[in-house]
Amino acid sequence: MAFEILDPTVEPRKQPLTYVARPDSLKGKRIGLVENTKYNSDRLLQKIGAILVSEYGAADAKMWRKHNASVPAHDEIIDEARRGVDVVVAGVGD
Amino acid sequence: MATTVLASARHKVDDLGQAIELCYERGWTDGLPVIPPTEVAVRGMLDAAGLAPDQQITNITNRQVVVTAEKVAINAVMAGCRPEYLPVVVAAVEALGDPIYGYHGPATSTGGAAPLIIVNGPLARTLDFNSGDNLFGPGWRANATVGRAVRLVMRNVIGTLPGKLDRGTVGHPGRYSYVIAENETESPWTPLHVERGCQPGQSAVTVMAAMAPHQVYNQLSNTAAGVLDTFCDTMKNPGMVGQPHYCLVIAGEHMRTIAADNWTKADIRNYVFEHSKNTVAHFKRTSRMPGTIKPEDETAMRPIVSRVEDILVVAAGGRAGTFSCYIPGWASRTASTAVTRVIKEGRA
Repeated sequence: MAFEILDPTVEPRKQPLTYVARPDSLKGKRIGLVENTKYNSDRLLQKIGAILVSEYGAADAKMWRKHNASVPAHDEIIDEARRGVDVVVAGVGD
Repeated sequence: MATTVLASARHKVDDLGQAIELCYERGWTDGLPVIPPTEVAVRGMLDAAGLAPDQQITNITNRQVVVTAEKVAINAVMAGCRPEYLPVVVAAVEALGDPIYGYHGPATSTGGAAPLIIVNGPLARTLDFNSGDNLFGPGWRANATVGRAVRLVMRNVIGTLPGKLDRGTVGHPGRYSYVIAENETESPWTPLHVERGCQPGQSAVTVMAAMAPHQVYNQLSNTAAGVLDTFCDTMKNPGMVGQPHYCLVIAGEHMRTIAADNWTKADIRNYVFEHSKNTVAHFKRTSRMPGTIKPEDETAMRPIVSRVEDILVVAAGGRAGTFSCYIPGWASRTASTAVTRVIKEGRA
């Protein structure tokens, strides 16, 4: 005999997400680096920051460290990045 | 105002076999067949717990997912739960959503943790959760289906799908179900949930992001220190360094030996904390910690957890046999901390 079953899944809530336009050039831009606490992620990002300054003309590079690898950047990082940098490099070092 | 309407999409099937196959086709199972979640079964589950379908159980912010009672009940039916188990499943799901548990990390990490769910209090006995023989093994409906329901919620509601937002490298069998009760009837010690702030008459779940159990065998010692020395010798060579918790599950014979020396759970924690340390040099030599070995590393002792109280002690396991086990936690204290939640019955 036919019957119905209920769907156990959900769709994630949708929310608007707007990206800042990518700069045409990094010349004179202030770079933010978000380090995820994994081994060597700080060294990798420092190297990336140095390359962006020496080869692409960025003004400087500043690094922040997340609380741990599993959480988003905390509010202090977001606030400082919003005020103090033009470009952010973040990634998962593992 | 709470609604009684079940909002979930409905799928028509011709018979039981087609229902089971549809759940496989949609990717809604853990690999084993599930009980088809009919409206009658789901309503029975919600009514037993006194929950409205649209009641929010938790909100997993990283995933932008609100977990409702209806979805928990549907997955609990699929897992094979009896209706009276739902409050236990709900309490565990609430714990998963606590920010200090940090859902996204242990659910997603290559570390492959599973939520270890320890049930304490009168409900553990009323609902027949196993706290004895074959503790982590099959055979008890409550243990098997409550943990399975939590896993199905993680999978179907929160999107913890292998290869996608579940990247466990090897995982472990506790990811099917990882539920035990404490043997409060025979234990000489303060129950875990009471140590963690609940009243003895309350029932509670403690949820810890956990790796697999490691068995410890000691048939020779008749002292508390002697039994725990075997634990410590194994624990001081951990698979990882820096875990937020270790859970010691002490079974019958070891429990009686330790209790005969009048050791409390606090005594056990203090002893294990002190005697399971290893040198920083050892951890560096065995590539558990980075860096070159300095002379001072040979005498710098590192504990297995940062605080004594981060060692959880649970009396559980069969009465016979000189086996117990310990369970390492996942990652670090900043990433995930164990959470205890009171089980609420009849909320409506």
